[in-house]
Amino acid sequence: MTMNPAQRRYLGRMVVVSVTYVAAIFLAGSLLPKGSPATPLSVAIALLPGLAVFGFIWAIGRYFSELTDEYLRLLEIRKALVATALALGVASSWGILEIYTDVPRLPVFWVFPIWCFGLGVGAAVNKLTFGDGGCA
Amino acid sequence: MKNRLKVLRAERDWSQGDLAERLEVSRQSVNAIETGKYDPSLPLAFRIADLFGLPIEDIFLKD
Repeated sequence: MTMNPAQRRYLGRMVVVSVTYVAAIFLAGSLLPKGSPATPLSVAIALLPGLAVFGFIWAIGRYFSELTDEYLRLLEIRKALVATALALGVASSWGILEIYTDVPRLPVFWVFPIWCFGLGVGAAVNKLTFGDGGCA
Repeated sequence: MKNRLKVLRAERDWSQGDLAERLEVSRQSVNAIETGKYDPSLPLAFRIADLFGLPIEDIFLKD
């Protein structure tokens, strides 16, 4: 299947943001030992990968707004809704478990990866209900 | 919503890809509309009607 212009731009942005994310993780990992004291400098360095995560979210948002094909946009939005439901559900349920039991703590860091995993689940839901997974 | 898209397309000997290209949408969209899995927005329905030179109600039918 050939990619439409919105898909091509999305892919390009995701590559740039992914490289930035990996570089920021390496930078933070090499400059800050685990459990470093929270100083303005250490916080600024540790937040760099977080900025890249905002980049991922921005790229996804741009993709939604640039997709001119309304059916494909519907599929992508449905994927995001499934992902949001899954991420919120898992985070909230696990949080309640943490309150009442001694299960291990789930670092908040995992919310976005869970959301990304949810996009895959959303594609499967689309495939089951519409016969099309989506286009990204 | 039912529609006569497949018949109208066949009358013109167009593939789903041909129709998609003329409407500037994906082939997946044409397939989803034809099979009734997706009802197009009013602007897209008008584009389809304009393309076939028919009123919308001659293409999209009430269930």
